[in-house]
Amino acid sequence: MTREIEKAAGIPVVQIATIVPIMLTVGSNRIVPGVAIPHPVGDPAKGPEADKKVRRELLLKALEAMTTPISEQTLFERK
Amino acid sequence: MRLELHEVHVSDIQWGERTEVVDHVLRVNREEAAAALAGEDRFASVRLDLARPGESVRIIPVKDVVEPRVKLKGGRGYFPGFFAPPETAGEGVTLVLKGAAVVTCGPIVAFQEGFIDMSGTGADYTPFSKTNNLVLTVEPVEGLGKHAYEEALRLAGLKLALYLAEACREAKPDEIRVFEKGSITEENEKYPDLPRILYICMAITQGLLHDTFLYAADMKTVLPTLLHPNEVLDGALVSGNCVSACDKNTTYHHVNNPVVEALYRRHGKDLNFLGVVPTVEDVRLAGKERASSMNAALAKNLGAHGVIVTEEGYGNPDTDLCLNAKKCENLGIRTVVISDEAAGTDGASQSLADATPEMSAFVSSGNVNEMIEVPPMQTVLGHPEAIANLSGGAAESLRPDGSMFVELQAVIGSTCELGFSRIGCEWI
Repeated sequence: MTREIEKAAGIPVVQIATIVPIMLTVGSNRIVPGVAIPHPVGDPAKGPEADKKVRRELLLKALEAMTTPISEQTLFERK
Repeated sequence: MRLELHEVHVSDIQWGERTEVVDHVLRVNREEAAAALAGEDRFASVRLDLARPGESVRIIPVKDVVEPRVKLKGGRGYFPGFFAPPETAGEGVTLVLKGAAVVTCGPIVAFQEGFIDMSGTGADYTPFSKTNNLVLTVEPVEGLGKHAYEEALRLAGLKLALYLAEACREAKPDEIRVFEKGSITEENEKYPDLPRILYICMAITQGLLHDTFLYAADMKTVLPTLLHPNEVLDGALVSGNCVSACDKNTTYHHVNNPVVEALYRRHGKDLNFLGVVPTVEDVRLAGKERASSMNAALAKNLGAHGVIVTEEGYGNPDTDLCLNAKKCENLGIRTVVISDEAAGTDGASQSLADATPEMSAFVSSGNVNEMIEVPPMQTVLGHPEAIANLSGGAAESLRPDGSMFVELQAVIGSTCELGFSRIGCEWI
């Protein structure tokens, strides 16, 4: 889906998912590593406040990835 | 370590006055068997049925399959940590009711159990159409959480299998199979010139009702460790999985692991079987990296020349499979993997979610997306509407006449990645 949206509509896509090797294999271009398979965009075990912080960081990282020019598959890792 | 499996051959199952094996017929006292589960207060009702090979019976949704076994010497009970002390399995004498199985069945809805057909097309794809089955269907008490329900049903299946074997402990075995192997040092001295082979057995350990237990320890908290093969053949591993049915390893599969048995048969002949490493399929990438690194390091430190890796499940575990192959190969250890494929209904899609060039030897156990048509069955045990919730099924899969058009992945054990099936390129 990531590749098709980019190819067909020309819209840059950031993929947040947990298993980076799979994203590299399937050809995603802008990759933000998620937290875990059952909860890629948060970390609920850390409690509501820390979870929200993680979610915000991931989203901001994804926006940064979206607006960064790239020439090859690129990982944007949360600090 | 020496394990004797005293196998009593069972070719039929019937209700009877007392639970015993007479002339290869397993007779079951229905009330007494149900009473064996009486201590479980999480069930509102318990129902027992029989399902024999060739009958027009469908069992759905199946959670686990358990082979009836009990320790005769060298321990008591079975499944250490559950119904035996958590001590090392694999020593002494174990009674096995070969040809019989306990099948657990219950509406843990929206989770991914599968079905067993005892006859027709579907029967060809599952080994449990050939076993004489005692089928346990339970209804949970109102409001029981799904995790508690899973645990209760898992324990009930083990308990029922243990009850059957315990009641038949005086039965005369038809066959005695012996599995004997010394420590790694002893075997290396005996067979210095044979290639040393390690078996890495991946298990689904992902939480949310996708779990495997090693000596009753929830494996998602367990780091890779080395087992003597006898431990695996004697109940160290128990399935707690509600997951896509075709390639989950039931508890029955674990104690009959064909990779372990095949490596054992060739031990001392053309290879030296080092042992089994049960390993995790973590839900975090760091966990996958850690486990695969530890697996490869274990193989290297044990002096393995070759490694066999079996996967359980598909999807994200494909990455664990790739990492295990890659890291072992990079240490100079030849690695072969056994896995199924999710190649789409036409078989034309990429088979695995992940890929790596180091994974250069692949044994396929089938395409989970292959469509099959199964005829209606006269009797349906369990909950037929569950087909909509099974992986490989949809609401429209169940037709008004009771026939079903489903993906192979809805059939228990159809593409088992331990190779415990008869599926092949041309016939099953």
